[in-house]
Amino acid sequence: MGLTAFARLAAKAPAPVFVARGANARSLAFELSGTGDVVLTQTPRHACVLLATGAFPDSMVPALRQIHDQMSHPRGVVLAGAHFRGHGPRGVFSDPVVVTPEGDVHDAVVVLHRDLILGRRPSAPPLLPDRDPTPWRGVGPYGQGGKGMTGGTPYGRPLAGLADDRDGLKLDALELRLGPFLPMFPPGLTLTIKLQGDVVQQARVGDNPFRTDERVSVGARSSVFVRALSGPVTIRELEHARAAHHLERVGEALRAAGLGALGERADRLAANIERVEAAAVRRLHRLLRRSRTLAWATSGVGRLEPDRVAGRGLGLVARACGLPEDLRTQDGAYNELGFSPLVEGGGDACARWRLRLAEVAQSLLLASAAGTRTTGGTGSVESPWGSISSDHAPVGSLLELLPGMLEGSDWGDVITTIVSLDLDLEEAART
Amino acid sequence: MSAAHGAALIVFSLGLCAGLAVCAPGRGTATAPERTPYLGGYAPETHAWSRFHVRYYGMALLFLAFDMEMVFMYPWAVVFAEEGMIAFVEMLMFIVILLLGILYAWRERALAWA
Repeated sequence: MGLTAFARLAAKAPAPVFVARGANARSLAFELSGTGDVVLTQTPRHACVLLATGAFPDSMVPALRQIHDQMSHPRGVVLAGAHFRGHGPRGVFSDPVVVTPEGDVHDAVVVLHRDLILGRRPSAPPLLPDRDPTPWRGVGPYGQGGKGMTGGTPYGRPLAGLADDRDGLKLDALELRLGPFLPMFPPGLTLTIKLQGDVVQQARVGDNPFRTDERVSVGARSSVFVRALSGPVTIRELEHARAAHHLERVGEALRAAGLGALGERADRLAANIERVEAAAVRRLHRLLRRSRTLAWATSGVGRLEPDRVAGRGLGLVARACGLPEDLRTQDGAYNELGFSPLVEGGGDACARWRLRLAEVAQSLLLASAAGTRTTGGTGSVESPWGSISSDHAPVGSLLELLPGMLEGSDWGDVITTIVSLDLDLEEAART
Repeated sequence: MSAAHGAALIVFSLGLCAGLAVCAPGRGTATAPERTPYLGGYAPETHAWSRFHVRYYGMALLFLAFDMEMVFMYPWAVVFAEEGMIAFVEMLMFIVILLLGILYAWRERALAWA
């Protein structure tokens, strides 16, 4: 009786959701947040509902099973536009709630959470066997004893190896393979880093899971830029898509910096991009420019020198290093609109988010002045990631530069750098 | 039985109930993947039991030094009114010497994290 009352009370709490994103994932942050009855968690441990969206190549499925099993009971799965190769609409899960493209993801999540808490729906059973990689077994007859601090190899995981510290000490270097479902990372990014304390000694970017022979369609928003490669599109549509894309990235960066409410504000602007005025974006820009904390946390982080980015078609990243590289300057229609590229000095994460917001306002002004002017069809387009063509994806160049940018920085700065670069692995897999 | 005994009994039985509710069998124990630390989808390959440089230790030592200085200030505050200016100058000298130490540490970059 008493416990039922508690359960009813718990069912009224916001539903904790962990979002696992694959290729072509729906941007759900705005759909889910804002109403207050859903909270997005940073790890599956804090979540009750696993929300999978996008296309998952086979190489991501083991990791997806792992995070499913890492959720505590009671747990459930919602699939919103999720595709798995060789599996039916239920994917790799036993009894998920499948939301149709017209369906409301928010409602599905809230209802599932309530049913799980009230016991109207059973908790999802584990997908992986209850087996440690290797049992912890020492040398003694009862599994006790052995060499080293722990007396044996704990669950098949050797202790961290020794490496030279920069202070001349020999200390342990911890090697971690992070991703592909780390919320601050772009979907699919895996990073193997060697940490000493919180300082990255070595970083290695893993294989792009979306670069497979499986057909992975590019996202609805980015498709405007891909379409512009082969045929004309209106400048209005292109610039709206660019503004929305940049606003979503700013939202992600703000959430990673712990400024969730401001991130939500950026998402709200992105979701209503066709009705948003440039003045609203400028207000957000001014507000963020005044934040000393944000400037302090992002200045000098993930710095790129201009000579390393020049001539690689890196678009916004190059413009944030003070290089006026923009394909739009060679476009007659943009010249008629009086377009000139915006630049920002510094080449760090701070310069990148400031330039991103300034370009959102610029794109909105271009879109409103463009009328029926069209662009594209020349085989190369200035996209939010830089100048793309059918055989060139600038994200690939950024992924090559990434390890050099991360080595020697703190773990917090790793996140700030990654969210500032807009590493879309789906776009990198296009070529 | 006094009221205090009664209150203690109530607190004890409530604690016992809460303990039993937590330990109550029902859901079973966590499986091996559930016990694994979360790294974004992969299982850790090395054990997290590692020795690393405690970089804040310089700051911790400075904190301790100033903490002890505050302890010294309590008896000083008691006699300050009687002794007057002499006590004030003595404390000032003491703090200035400590401050020089901090400025030296700052110059030698002992307060830098990384």
